[in-house]
Amino acid sequence: MAPILDPHTLEFVSRNPTQTHRLGVRLGALLPGGAVVCLEGPLGAGKTRFAQGIGRGWGAEQTLISPTFVLVREYDRAEDDVRLYHVDLYRISGAEEAFGLGLDDFLGDERAVCLIEWAERARSLIPPEHLWVRLAFADGDPLRRIINFTAQGERHAALLRRFRREAFGV
Amino acid sequence: MTRILAIETSCDETGAAVIEDGRRILSNVVASQVELHAPYGGIFPEIASRAHVEAIVPVIEQAMREAHLTYDDLDGVAVTYGPGLAGSLLVGVNAAKGLALGSGRPLLGVNHLEAHIYAHWLETAESAPRTASGAELEFPLLALLVSGGHTELILMRGHGQYEYLGGTLDDAAGEAFDKVGRLLGLPYPGGPAIQRASEGGRPTAFRFPRAWLGESYDFSFSGLKTAVLREVQKYSDPPQGQVLADLAASFQAAVVDVLATKTARAAEEFGVREVLLCGGVSANRALREVTTERAAVPVRYLPPFLCTDNGAMVGACAYHHFQAGDRAGWDLDVVPGLRLAGRGRKGR
Repeated sequence: MAPILDPHTLEFVSRNPTQTHRLGVRLGALLPGGAVVCLEGPLGAGKTRFAQGIGRGWGAEQTLISPTFVLVREYDRAEDDVRLYHVDLYRISGAEEAFGLGLDDFLGDERAVCLIEWAERARSLIPPEHLWVRLAFADGDPLRRIINFTAQGERHAALLRRFRREAFGV
Repeated sequence: MTRILAIETSCDETGAAVIEDGRRILSNVVASQVELHAPYGGIFPEIASRAHVEAIVPVIEQAMREAHLTYDDLDGVAVTYGPGLAGSLLVGVNAAKGLALGSGRPLLGVNHLEAHIYAHWLETAESAPRTASGAELEFPLLALLVSGGHTELILMRGHGQYEYLGGTLDDAAGEAFDKVGRLLGLPYPGGPAIQRASEGGRPTAFRFPRAWLGESYDFSFSGLKTAVLREVQKYSDPPQGQVLADLAASFQAAVVDVLATKTARAAEEFGVREVLLCGGVSANRALREVTTERAAVPVRYLPPFLCTDNGAMVGACAYHHFQAGDRAGWDLDVVPGLRLAGRGRKGR
């Protein structure tokens, strides 16, 4: 099915990093506790930029910075006790290691929102219900990115429908 | 005389040292895991924890042997409890607790970032005459802390008094070196590899962007990384020869330009007496030269073995906490996201 006709996917071309960030802000504002957002894309595709937008929209008290060094960074917001976990799985290869990070303590927890970069490196760790966001370079324009959203499970599909409506009016 | 055994396992180096009065290095042993992680282009946490487990006891024993001391001669056992990798930190914290409990000595918990700054109080072969003659470091000081996980400008008005002036908004400086190193096909770690590759390169060959971010003391290296990527993608093969040297030199110049300029500006605005360069990236020659050139006050930097992670700096830092009466409880836990200070008045 063409992406535009499939209610579980959405494709969008971002003109530049600022627009990618703004899209993240829109999505972040809609994320309920228990949401899992996976970010896939090569170095420089804008994963962290998009994640920063999500953090801003969600209401994180600090700007999200790269989680590469500590693997997991946690953020709070003023309005409730839901926590945002920003995870980098680039160097995680299996469930045993993820256990050491305490991933299973917060993945899918109702009081946790999880943003996972390099999720494709450890697919077995990702809960079956999630929103998968793929960022890819577009030919011809160095700033342009193709962003593809795919929802798994009814809850994340509803999230994607809301995002589509609020961000694009369709 | 106060002697402290200090343990550091926050990332990929297993370190133990015995430090006397916060400045004399009686021993300083570091088992590096760089070779273990090199094939992956970054630190693999599970490998790191396992390597720490294997190295920790021999490293501590060697540090005690080289200091010619027994556990009875110690006044305390210090350990880094954050920031860092949880699994790695745990190995050091548990070893320190065991030793402190077994020897009946107090346990001291140390912030890794603070320890990097305190490396400047240690005597080395070159600096010993200076400190011996009483030429102490004078407050206020400005510390630029640059490493694989951190890029922070910190104002230090006295022992234990920190004000966070700014830091990275995305990637740490060392992380930018590692990631760009990977793009250029250079070995891990990226810092020394890029410095080597940049020799003979022209720093102005490529106009890479500098993220000045207005008047703030914050940094951003993500756009620079992407700019290098775009340039590299123009070539079908990994760049070599003069092109590689030019790319490396131009990238390095862009990082150093922003770090040195903001450091010099902060030094002036806050009227500090000296600037301290700390952390693994402060071993970079260009960063030392350019910062020294631009700052109006003396810039101090360390021999390479005190720039990268080590136990000695933890011991230097622990001494000041020991003097202040700080003691950690047996429930000391690791804090992977530990910070040094909140944002100061210049904060956003």
